[in-house]
Amino acid sequence: MAGNSEYAIEMLNITKRFPGIIANDNVTVQLKKGEIHALLGENGAGKSTLMSVLFGLYQAEEGIIKKDGVEVKINNPNDANDLGIGMVHQHFKLVQCFSVLDNIILGDETTKHGILQKDEARKKVMALSDKYGLKVDPDAKIEDITVGMQQRTEILKMLYRDNEILIFDEPTAVLTPAEIDELMEIMKNLAKEGKSILFISHKLAEIMAVADRCSVLRRGKYIGTVNIADTNQDELSRMMVGRDVQLVATKEDKEPGKVILHVENMTVPSKLHHNNAVKNVSFDVREGEIVCIAGIDGNGQTELVYGLSGLENCTSGKITLSGKDITHASIRERSTSGMSHIPEDRHKHGLVMDYSLAYNLVLQRYFEPEFSTKAGFLKKGAINSYADKLIEQYDIRSSQGAATIARSMSGGNQQKAIIAREIDKNPDLLIAVQPTRGLDVGAIEYIHKQLIAQRDAGHAVLLVSLELEEVMSISDRILVMYEGELVGEFNPKTTTPEELGLYMAGAKRKEIGA
Amino acid sequence: MGKKSSEGFLSKPAVQSTLAALLCIVIGLLVGYVALLIINPAGATEAIITILKNYFTYPTKAAAMKYLGNTLVKAAPLLMCALSIQFCYQAGLFNIGAAGQYVAGAGAALFCALQLKMPWIICLLAALIAGGIFGIIVGLLKSYLNVNEVISGIMLNWIGLYTVNMLLSGVKETASPYTVQVASVNKGAILPSLGMEKLFSNNKYVTIAIPLAILIAILLKVILSMTVFGYEIKATGIAKDAAKYSGMKEKRNVIITLFIGGALAGLGAAFLFLTGYEQWSVTQSSVPGMGFNGIAATFLGGLDPIGTIFASYFIQHITSGGSYLDKNIYPSQISDFISAIIIYLCGFVLFFKIQLNGWLRARDERAKQPPIVQSKKEEGGNK
Amino acid sequence: MVLLLQYTLLFASVLILVALGGCFSEHSGVINLGLEGIMVMGALGGALTLKYISPSTPALLIVLAVMAASILCGVIYSMLLAVACINLKADQTLVGTALNMLAAAAATVIVKSINIAENPDNVSSTVQYVQTKKALVVSIGSFQFNWFMLVALIALILAYVILYKTRFGLRLMACGEHPQAADSVGINVYTMRWSGVLISGMLAGIGGIVYITAGVSEWKFEVGVAGFGFLALAVMIFGQWKPINIGLAALLFGFFRALSNVYSGFDFLAALNIPGSVYNMMPYIISLIVLAFTSSNSRAPKAEGIPYDKGSR
Repeated sequence: MAGNSEYAIEMLNITKRFPGIIANDNVTVQLKKGEIHALLGENGAGKSTLMSVLFGLYQAEEGIIKKDGVEVKINNPNDANDLGIGMVHQHFKLVQCFSVLDNIILGDETTKHGILQKDEARKKVMALSDKYGLKVDPDAKIEDITVGMQQRTEILKMLYRDNEILIFDEPTAVLTPAEIDELMEIMKNLAKEGKSILFISHKLAEIMAVADRCSVLRRGKYIGTVNIADTNQDELSRMMVGRDVQLVATKEDKEPGKVILHVENMTVPSKLHHNNAVKNVSFDVREGEIVCIAGIDGNGQTELVYGLSGLENCTSGKITLSGKDITHASIRERSTSGMSHIPEDRHKHGLVMDYSLAYNLVLQRYFEPEFSTKAGFLKKGAINSYADKLIEQYDIRSSQGAATIARSMSGGNQQKAIIAREIDKNPDLLIAVQPTRGLDVGAIEYIHKQLIAQRDAGHAVLLVSLELEEVMSISDRILVMYEGELVGEFNPKTTTPEELGLYMAGAKRKEIGA
Repeated sequence: MGKKSSEGFLSKPAVQSTLAALLCIVIGLLVGYVALLIINPAGATEAIITILKNYFTYPTKAAAMKYLGNTLVKAAPLLMCALSIQFCYQAGLFNIGAAGQYVAGAGAALFCALQLKMPWIICLLAALIAGGIFGIIVGLLKSYLNVNEVISGIMLNWIGLYTVNMLLSGVKETASPYTVQVASVNKGAILPSLGMEKLFSNNKYVTIAIPLAILIAILLKVILSMTVFGYEIKATGIAKDAAKYSGMKEKRNVIITLFIGGALAGLGAAFLFLTGYEQWSVTQSSVPGMGFNGIAATFLGGLDPIGTIFASYFIQHITSGGSYLDKNIYPSQISDFISAIIIYLCGFVLFFKIQLNGWLRARDERAKQPPIVQSKKEEGGNK
Repeated sequence: MVLLLQYTLLFASVLILVALGGCFSEHSGVINLGLEGIMVMGALGGALTLKYISPSTPALLIVLAVMAASILCGVIYSMLLAVACINLKADQTLVGTALNMLAAAAATVIVKSINIAENPDNVSSTVQYVQTKKALVVSIGSFQFNWFMLVALIALILAYVILYKTRFGLRLMACGEHPQAADSVGINVYTMRWSGVLISGMLAGIGGIVYITAGVSEWKFEVGVAGFGFLALAVMIFGQWKPINIGLAALLFGFFRALSNVYSGFDFLAALNIPGSVYNMMPYIISLIVLAFTSSNSRAPKAEGIPYDKGSR
């Protein structure tokens, strides 16, 4: 029976618990040889945990793993590797200052008298690169190459180790549409050559395009496995969230009012490389509109927002907020002049994780007379009652109310706290950067409603998003950013995701007048 | 907002800090005891008791009080150095330069007292400013040039030492490397005692320095927990990026914090040298340990100003106790050795707390019924 | 002049050894602020060997014995750092500082105890090694060649080869840059970090004995090693964590340190009548200035100072 199994890998009745949470509850996934098997689920559904169990990063409390029909124990990545299991992680596991070749051989080096022998490795890598169309420069440093090439390096890492079972963890999140197509081709090629592929994603279209079968997880539970040929996006979507979802937010048409944010020829340097991250960008955001900056991750959106919020200095250009020149204003001045900012990284920027919820809710206002005396003392009573008010109003849930330490709250509630704080400032301009990232559908709906409510109340909203679906459904105007420049302006009613994709990938561009 | 049960006692941060500190002390003393046993088993038990007894060694109450006074005289500067390190630590800065700021304060205080013949209040201010300037240098280097404050602090410790040696070589006794007695040259530079010496069997070294140090500790506690400045300092320490995002002037705060830290350490030196208890040796070639012992007191005190008062006293208590050991059998540095062990153990406090909390949580969970799948995570997100 | 060269090379050797130690530790991801303390312990081991070994022992044997003792002490002592910072995830700054204080106190206690045991009236913390120290030195004309200069040179070359040409080096640096990446390809991050710290203990241990035998024949352990461990850290930062650059930086710092020993031998320097304290300060001032200019864009290993936790990804 051994070796004759139809399945390359079987994970049977896997249960994995973390303190307070069952991340995987009796999950079964069976990967056939030579197939592309999608693993679908929302953020937090337990996909990554399951893969970490398979890869030996975690040990399951219950359940067994079989390879070719034989039960195996995977205690660490080495075991996984020995069984021919390789993984492209969502966040690449690449050493930035090493070359591509060094990264590929790391952990599986050939040596002679203790000295590294790289020539043969280089030959093998180049052969693999040719065979599967994975173009890389073996001597380039990771920090100097594109995300696409980094991903190809990760794939080569698996192939170099002759892995038969390849796991792709959300591989398309960081890619341009063209690169995604390329990746899909590569995956199909690999499957054709007999590799078995597990493809983790929450993007239905991609699963429909490339997978043979799909297993669905929801809140840690195994929902079922379907043949892609026999299903459609609607069914998969229902399996994933447990109900029909109306992701398209409803909002009424509204004529935008006067200009709130005016940006002229803004340039922001990059921390990562010597070029400018934002190049000579100009645009407006007006009252009562949601303007969305769309683009692939890493095309200057982060730095654009840093420039607007004052976290980074612009090297040239001019920014006006409600008619006031804020180009050289401090972060605090911008905030008190009517700018709110829901930051991209809520753990790093958005919250003081070890402060209480109450302290976090006044992070932008603690210095105001409402919360502190002239002598510089905090008014703790006022801070707590304000916090209670926001907790009530924005439905922020936590174990100990205002006294809860931010770190102990769930991601969705942390984000709600930030949104409550930023919106309650009653800003003229709300900048929201990927406000729904990593949240579940309920929280996403909630946040979209809040953004639209801001717009309807006549405020200006600038949304930065990587999710085309989100961009299409809630914005009034779309600006596409590519390599630090705005390359097109679109009306969501008249454009298509495909058209946006071409601009996001740099395949097309048009001049936009601010 | 569940009610705290009685078993919540162990999960209180203050209780945990105290427990951890006591554990560190016990282990530190045990290791010290073992060291004494190795050196000379016969007198080891007596020796460790001598260290712990300190001034209680003296049979009469009057003598004991007098030497309690001496311990307090040295505990005051130690407390100041500990507060210096602690205040900076709240802002995420490891002010190992406190040792050098202490040296700078000593130099300034003695120079003003001996060379310029200034009254004590001016000497005190000079020490404060000198320490503060040393702190500011570290702050500027950190804020604008990204120099690690530990490395620059260490360098400044040595620079400070040699500078002060040079500065004070003009006011040293002719026959010894020590600076002249403050009391003999300029009585006005001695800190006032306000009659407190009577409580300590006329110990002339007991001055307002002792109550001042305690007052400053309380003041710092108030600043940290109740003011806008404290809110900013702590936010900067916990989450530098979030502090910047909220518009706090991070660089300015770093510099102010280090100025305050430096001023505290500088004052600490004045608190010792302006009592006349010690003289500065202008040939000393190692940085005085006061600033480093402050690190021990800070961490032992659970990084809390009030806890640090007790911790500083304890560290000084065993250090003074060490000097009562029979020098011809045991080296008095055994006390430093115990202090150092205690600091080393303080490094594990966080680990200890995590373990304790993990254990408490596991116990709570066993008490409850099995959790529903991902209950915590999901409840929050959905309505 | 020869004397200046000799002292420059000698102090540069110390700095090279200790800075390379720091370099290995930091490349593995652990900031080793305890180098100073490790030096003291290494120095203690070496000094006691010099004290007790018979002066008639062949010179080479003395050198090897001293080195072995220093390495042993340094390595054992650095384990305290490794277990605290790697396994128990303690604050690396705090533990490093504690180790420096502990070393000074422990070395003093040990030396005093030995002295007292020999003669109850001798309560000093000084170890003498006048006779045996001669074994470490070979006179070439007026230049006194010290075997440890050669050891430092070999260490420098080895460090370069190990870091850039071997499997061990590649894996070590991966752990300092991106431990999760290393873990995901089956490298045991804890083992690699332990190796890094132990190597730093070995090198700093040798550095310690070289420092206290440079130009003197006895050492008072109460004074420790006068911040030399931290100068070595400055050398390492100035050298951008690269062995060859560290070698050059060490020569520069060694020169300034040497000046304070021999300035009185130069007529024009002596004529300037600058107090000795100024020369003593020089290395520290120089390193402060150097750090001010080199710290803004440092190439420090990205993951240094962050305890590795297998659970968090």
